[in-house]
Amino acid sequence: MKISWKKYPSSSFYDEYITPQNTLRGHSKKIGTFLESLSIEDLKEINAATETAIKSMGISFRVYSEDSADGQDRMWPLDFIPRLIRKSEWLQVEKGLKQRVKALNMFIEDCYNKQEFLNESDMDKSLVLDSPAYKKYCVDVKLKHNTWSHICGSDLIKAHDGKFYVLEDNLRVPSGVSYMLENRMIMKRVFPELFYQYGVTPIDAYPTKLYETLASVNNSRSKKPEIVLLTPGVFNSAYYEHSFLAQQMGIDLVEGRDLIVAKDGFVYKKTIEGLVKVDVIYRRIDDDYLDPDQGNPKTTIGVKGLIRAWQEKKVAIVNSPGCGIADDKAVYAYVPKMIKFYLKEEPIIKNIKKFLLTNKEHRNLVFKNFKEMVIKPVAESGGYGIVIGKNCSRSEKDATIRKVMNNPRNYVAQPLISLSTTPTYSGDSLEPRHLDLRPFILSAEKQYVTVGGLTRVALKKGSTVVNSSQGGGSKDTWIV
Amino acid sequence: MLSRDAEHLYWLTRYVERIENTARMINVHSELMLDFPGDQSLGWKPIIETMDSKKFFKKRYSEYSEISAVKFLGDDKENLNSIISSLDMARYNARAIKDDLPRSATEQLNNLFNEFSGGMASSSSRRKRASYIYNAVSGAQRFFGIISDNFSRGYAFEFMRLGRFVERIDMISRIIDSLCITKSEEQTHDFPTLEWVSMLRTLSAHESFRKEIRGEIERGDVINFLLKNENFPRSIYRCLTITEKSLSTLPNNTDVLEVAKKLNTRVFSAKLDSYDDKQLHNFLDYLQRRIHLLDENIHKNYFHNYL
Repeated sequence: MKISWKKYPSSSFYDEYITPQNTLRGHSKKIGTFLESLSIEDLKEINAATETAIKSMGISFRVYSEDSADGQDRMWPLDFIPRLIRKSEWLQVEKGLKQRVKALNMFIEDCYNKQEFLNESDMDKSLVLDSPAYKKYCVDVKLKHNTWSHICGSDLIKAHDGKFYVLEDNLRVPSGVSYMLENRMIMKRVFPELFYQYGVTPIDAYPTKLYETLASVNNSRSKKPEIVLLTPGVFNSAYYEHSFLAQQMGIDLVEGRDLIVAKDGFVYKKTIEGLVKVDVIYRRIDDDYLDPDQGNPKTTIGVKGLIRAWQEKKVAIVNSPGCGIADDKAVYAYVPKMIKFYLKEEPIIKNIKKFLLTNKEHRNLVFKNFKEMVIKPVAESGGYGIVIGKNCSRSEKDATIRKVMNNPRNYVAQPLISLSTTPTYSGDSLEPRHLDLRPFILSAEKQYVTVGGLTRVALKKGSTVVNSSQGGGSKDTWIV
Repeated sequence: MLSRDAEHLYWLTRYVERIENTARMINVHSELMLDFPGDQSLGWKPIIETMDSKKFFKKRYSEYSEISAVKFLGDDKENLNSIISSLDMARYNARAIKDDLPRSATEQLNNLFNEFSGGMASSSSRRKRASYIYNAVSGAQRFFGIISDNFSRGYAFEFMRLGRFVERIDMISRIIDSLCITKSEEQTHDFPTLEWVSMLRTLSAHESFRKEIRGEIERGDVINFLLKNENFPRSIYRCLTITEKSLSTLPNNTDVLEVAKKLNTRVFSAKLDSYDDKQLHNFLDYLQRRIHLLDENIHKNYFHNYL
């Protein structure tokens, strides 16, 4: 039994491979034709080979569950049909992402210094100043290259018009880049034929670029800065990535207990040679757990005195503490205005319309059109707490409205965007599944954007929830 | 190299070495009792004593019977020095440095754990219990063999070797001591050297000993062999030499090397074959205290544990 694109279910969603007339789009002709030459058995084999490769390479991620205290290690889910993006389109996206992150970084530094945007725009100041992410210890701090979020993961979606839009910006501790790199490694092993045909743009430069970014924020005079990756430890859901990146960059993977802030105020790591001074810390720990002196005093994974050392520029931290003020679904709505304000430019990539539910008019609009809306808690990650209006029963709708009315500041709403789809292996055929894209933008002296990024796909038919912790999968992303 | 990683490596091998030696210790005594089945003086008390566990044992068990003692040393989870507890700790340390160990080493450790925790407690037959103990020895040896053959030499390897031999010195001294305590209390049987021959066997030393010392086996010769022989890997003197060797490859080793060297000289110069059981016991006690001091120094120097 062979694949036939004629049988591919067409819909009102934008499919990245197939037109509504069931023909292959220009850039997907090569791969589409190749896939048509395969049988279902071939596909089953390729899928099995993919799973085996992942298992033997040990690519996993951790899910917290109610059943087990430690959480479970699950094998990383990769769908072997790649996601394709035209190079010409990607170059524009790249420009737009760099522009966006630049403005966001200027915004963060501004909020902790002169607050010009806050004073001059119509944004409610309390969104920033009253946010728990706003850290007093960041006030008056100015950073090298005016960059606070050196590593940003901005989630993009393609809407029904075939254009990319920004869904949200993750400026604090974004994860997923290691899976992007591992996906490519697996695809090369499992599907080498396609690489020859397509001339896919390589993505392996990321660890080098990340290292360069980390090295460039060094404040000390040393030519070769001492860089470490600070992880909460093996029980963290992204530990695989921490270990992978540290190994790829050739830097030490450390935990809080390996570091100490000495009497001279510098940060040292405990080694068998004695104490070695640390210049740059790539931290994968939340602000509040970094330092028991600032934030949660009970934290056991942080380093006492770390924030002070950072303030005194005796150590650099990536991403800087305090970025959370821009990593907020409510602040997101003002990013286009930030781009205009700081860069005097029009945003190259557009936002999705967002309703702040503190606004009465917006609230009424949202409740009236509940079935077309997605309601999200402002500060959650991992896809938790998201309410999709059209999937709600009457009682679920009422419960959601009550939650919002209780704490409107905590919620935003967006119209449910019909996410684009791409053919995905579904067991006995290729079917359209919704997906999004997380490119990573590095900023320091220069900016760098990953070639593509991590494509996340909702594996369940009709679902739009792409997070791995909730049953999502991933695809390799090809710029062709 | 991070202090924490070095610490994990050091304790991983300390615990696996402890497993092997605790099993050997149980064997020493079981074998002995087979030769003198009626002799009540050869009880299990001396072994429990030499493991510094007398008080703890008395709280949990009513008598020093074979079943109680073997359970206590074998699979009693409340005893932190039992084989099962040591297996737990070994795995904990191995997990922390998982990416640095050859996969087969981790697998072997897991196998060892699964086999041992599988059935020892429930097996009521002496033969079955004995087989678990023997498998603990061979399982530990397999682990060390895998490391020896598949691990690149360097700091990581040296910390593993250091942990292994520090533990070995401590445990061998206790094994020998258990016999001293036994014999200094009562002697109700003939063939005073038979116990020492039995000890040689359980320390896998009989063949090597025979190669060097021909003719009648004298107590003094065995003591010299086990404590001062230059070539046998389980002789205290050789263990100290290897410990020194490992320490000399590490950075910042002046202080720790001094402690090791002093101890080595002391063992070398002591006329141990002329000691009676009581004197030997005192010497072994001294040895254990000095090894403990060396361990403390290693912690302070390399692991930054200012405890």
